[in-house]
Amino acid sequence: MNENIRVGVFVCDCGSNIAGIVNVPEVVEYTKGLKHVAFADEGKWSCSVDYLAKMKELIKENDLNRVVIASCTPRTHEPLFKRTVKEAGVNPYLLEFVSIREQVSWVHRADPSKATEKVKDLVRMGVAKAVLLEEGEEIRLSVKTDCLVIGGGMAGMTAALNIADQGFHAILVEKESRLGGLLNRLSVVCHDHVKLEAAEIVKAKVALVESHQNIKVYTNAEIEAVEGYIGNYKVTLKANGSNETFDASTVIVATGMQEIEPVGQFQYGSDPRVVTQVQLEGLLRGDEVGQVKDVVIVNCVNSKNESRGCCTIGCSVSVKNALALKMLNKDIRVDILYRDLSMVREEGSDLETAKRAGVKFIRFPDDRYPEVTKEDGNLGVRVYDILLGKEFTLPSDLVVLTTGFKGDDTCEAIKGHLKVSTNPDGFFQEAHIKLGPLDFPSDGISLCGCARSPKNLKDSCEEGAGAAMRASIPMKRGYLEAEGIVADIDLDVCNSCGLCAKNCPYGAIKWEDEKPNVIKALCKGCGLCAADCPKNAISIIHYSDEQILAQVDAALEERPEEKIIGFVCHWCALGGVDMAGVSRLQYPTNARLIRVMCSARVAIKFIERAFELGAAGVLVAGCEFPTCHYITGNYAAEERIKRAKKRLARKGYDPEKLWNVWCSAADGPKFANTMRDMVKELGLE
Amino acid sequence: MSDAILIIGGGIAGINAALNAGDYGCKVYLIDDTASIGGMMARLDKTFPTNDCSICIESPLMYEVDNHPNIEILTNTEVRRVKKENGTFTVRLLKKAKFIDEERCTGCGSCVEACPVSVPDELDGKIGGMRKLIFMPFPQAVPNVSVIDPRCRYGKMRELGACVGGCVVDCSQCRECPIALCVKACKEEGKDAVVLWQADRPMDIEIKSIIVATGIRSAEPDTGLYGYNIYGNVITYIQFERLMNAGGPTAGEIIRPSDKKHAQKIAWIQCAGRGLTKGLPYCSKVCCMVATKQTIITKEHDASTETLVFYNDLKAYGKGFWGFYQKAIENGVRYIRARPYDVSEDPKTKNLTIRYEDLDTAEIEEVEVELLVLSTGLVPSERNKRLAKVLKIELDNLGFFKEKDPMLAPLETGVEGIYVCGGATGPIDISESVVQASAASMKAVLK
Repeated sequence: MNENIRVGVFVCDCGSNIAGIVNVPEVVEYTKGLKHVAFADEGKWSCSVDYLAKMKELIKENDLNRVVIASCTPRTHEPLFKRTVKEAGVNPYLLEFVSIREQVSWVHRADPSKATEKVKDLVRMGVAKAVLLEEGEEIRLSVKTDCLVIGGGMAGMTAALNIADQGFHAILVEKESRLGGLLNRLSVVCHDHVKLEAAEIVKAKVALVESHQNIKVYTNAEIEAVEGYIGNYKVTLKANGSNETFDASTVIVATGMQEIEPVGQFQYGSDPRVVTQVQLEGLLRGDEVGQVKDVVIVNCVNSKNESRGCCTIGCSVSVKNALALKMLNKDIRVDILYRDLSMVREEGSDLETAKRAGVKFIRFPDDRYPEVTKEDGNLGVRVYDILLGKEFTLPSDLVVLTTGFKGDDTCEAIKGHLKVSTNPDGFFQEAHIKLGPLDFPSDGISLCGCARSPKNLKDSCEEGAGAAMRASIPMKRGYLEAEGIVADIDLDVCNSCGLCAKNCPYGAIKWEDEKPNVIKALCKGCGLCAADCPKNAISIIHYSDEQILAQVDAALEERPEEKIIGFVCHWCALGGVDMAGVSRLQYPTNARLIRVMCSARVAIKFIERAFELGAAGVLVAGCEFPTCHYITGNYAAEERIKRAKKRLARKGYDPEKLWNVWCSAADGPKFANTMRDMVKELGLE
Repeated sequence: MSDAILIIGGGIAGINAALNAGDYGCKVYLIDDTASIGGMMARLDKTFPTNDCSICIESPLMYEVDNHPNIEILTNTEVRRVKKENGTFTVRLLKKAKFIDEERCTGCGSCVEACPVSVPDELDGKIGGMRKLIFMPFPQAVPNVSVIDPRCRYGKMRELGACVGGCVVDCSQCRECPIALCVKACKEEGKDAVVLWQADRPMDIEIKSIIVATGIRSAEPDTGLYGYNIYGNVITYIQFERLMNAGGPTAGEIIRPSDKKHAQKIAWIQCAGRGLTKGLPYCSKVCCMVATKQTIITKEHDASTETLVFYNDLKAYGKGFWGFYQKAIENGVRYIRARPYDVSEDPKTKNLTIRYEDLDTAEIEEVEVELLVLSTGLVPSERNKRLAKVLKIELDNLGFFKEKDPMLAPLETGVEGIYVCGGATGPIDISESVVQASAASMKAVLK
């Protein structure tokens, strides 16, 4: 390191919040004596506008090139201080944040002297890391404005139109000979008493799509290959017998769904009078229902059992089609056999209309399904009515089965091309079921419509527009930007084992010329790859092995036997630590916490180093399952902790001194209790 | 023409719409009429069907909004007037006083500690949650600043022992206050951020489109419904959610209001107050899964707790919901298909006896529980009426915002340039809100 390192340390009083407990002047004096520290100052309110201005002056005046802020929590204030040091001409990656309010003064109120000692340790750890920090920068990957939309149903067409209306280019690929998807096979769609012909809806939408100058439509087309990543996809298409290759920057998956045929059940397949809902729609559409008199609709066929869930739309489809039959001829008898009627707001009003029109609803038990019978060629449905408490047979000349759905057949192939996953029902798995419903874990690929799960027209169109928005953001900006906390692989050390590429939850490590290549803009910096790399070839910028080990070393410089080294993830675990602080939960002062982005970053060697230096215990704290900001990092961490315990035992350390806690950001009590328990169990009281 | 977008409502829908539009490059005003963004989701414990901790996944987004260069958050802010000319909306906002200088306040909480008066919290009062007259909306609030109950000023809380109780001068007349303890505490911290004389502040902005994301609220049952407000141990599902929450008033202890003891046998009544002579005429969609989640979490707290769910039609309509319900059954949750008709309290034990007809067996049964939770459903936000008038858009007969053409142009309202998403459209879960927020933001930026 040739550079002349000049660290500036700013310790905040936070009024009396920190200074009321911690002897801040003493900490500042102590800090001035640390190696590489060129300047240290006490600020009454470091985050106030006037002090931030002063801080900038001090950084320049003292020619500082590393900054340590010891104050509240990085979860809320790090962006502010990053901006400040940047404005002072220091690369924001050369800032280290030390939390001494939530981790010290608010939680160790009864023992100011121990609190002050802890702050000194934390600042020393911060300085040790700061000395090793390197400049970083946000990484940009250029993204152009062409979007591949796979699937030409209503969701896909809506997405393509939204993309194209921005002046971007949409390439819409449909496997069938015409656009429209499932809607091509339906008769009418209803919403809140409004009824529209499916064919009319499709016709209007297709006209918009086909006349749009920014949309290129391929029908009878199949995706042969998709290579690359956001901004750099190479797509090979087989359309009308010939192959075509083009570039795309983003991808929207809208491959839809298909009905599961109940072959061999309820006489389906053997008697033409037993049909599925989609087949009934076809009959209604073509006016081919004929002179039926008694229709029995059986809901939840192959749904809500051990292997499949609720099909979501079956109840409203059955009511809609029952009404359609009644419209055709009010004298047709229609019975709907159901388990639960799963109808929401506007669907509920259709239910009432159906009841008024004379459609009968009969509830059967979950474990006693109706049976389709045949006597002298006459069909019947034998059903046990829960409310009447008896069984009877309904004569029937048309039995309609409301069956479940699965993802489209092309799903498997697409899954391979895009390296994304599906659930057992063949529907694509989104990045996060609550907060990332239209995204895949890999940037640049969005998901919408029935390819995600069964849904009605309205929801499909909403998802189409929503997925278009998700895909448009990088296209509009012209780039994808990632924080500079990313993996960096030393290819001279790498032995091409492939573990990193296999384990990366974001597909950010591509295999090129027998070697891994980190697409930095896709990397989220969780550190899972680095912690597991058998050759130690991977470093995480801003959370390198050297930096974290320097923090461990600094923490254990004095009286290591009293100290607990805690590795806490930035998201939930640190949230729990902060929550304990905000709630002023008091716990012992032994912990020295080291922040990592994800618990998956914690390599076994960090834990070992702590024990080698005589630490009383080590804690690994991550998000509470199943939450993880990096999808599955905490699961990886849990596995690794098991391995670490074995390795510790082999090396003669007590594995029981390695603890872990999975803590939600709301659970201050859990963190505080863990600290108390650890101190007790480790005999530190 | 202005390129800015106004988003009304800072819950999970508004936050997502703001992040999408902000990332896209538009200037965004995200307003909320409460003191913090976060909405209902910020107060929930877990989310179905994965049991992800709610604030854990929402607060990173709240901080992201807060630090976003294109997004301006305005809390305690209402829309007062909207004028549309040549495709541009001129909007008059009113930022109501928090009596706190938001630039100066650091959320340190010294004022809260100094305040001598505790009152029942709006959300948590029924289950013992208290707050001060100066308070932080919730620990992860964004912006992370205190807010003062407006009733505190000018001696209006005298009986409760408010520190300014004896003062006869209207706070708005002063420019300093020698009495108020919060003012003093803040000054001692060197901040001087408490401004009891702060006035409401009007603000005019020009924007090209508006997204309405005013959200939804849990229905408050009528007094007497299954003993609600009569028997102490009958609470609503949102109150139960707060009981489970480690960040709630009981630090996550599931204890009943009457004696603060852990409840060992808990029943849920689904569709409480629905479909009778009055009450909600519709299914609120989420309550079945909320109850399922609550039973699973209750069992996680203490596996020996007995849990019963009285339901009629089980709504397990979404991805992963059926499996979630199966998990509850595996964990020993009893689902009983029945609509209870009567609840009575044992005056000594404060336990509740529920009488019901089991629909599967047609038998009249009764069961005694220690805590009863009413799943009362979701109703439109009380703000909708006034806002619809200001924006000149329509509500449906239930009080939700009406979409012009739900099938062909979902989320669009009768006024071009005004879109709606999330709970403002009707009962909805978080995931669907996020989807709609993405779609509404697409429409809003394209306008």
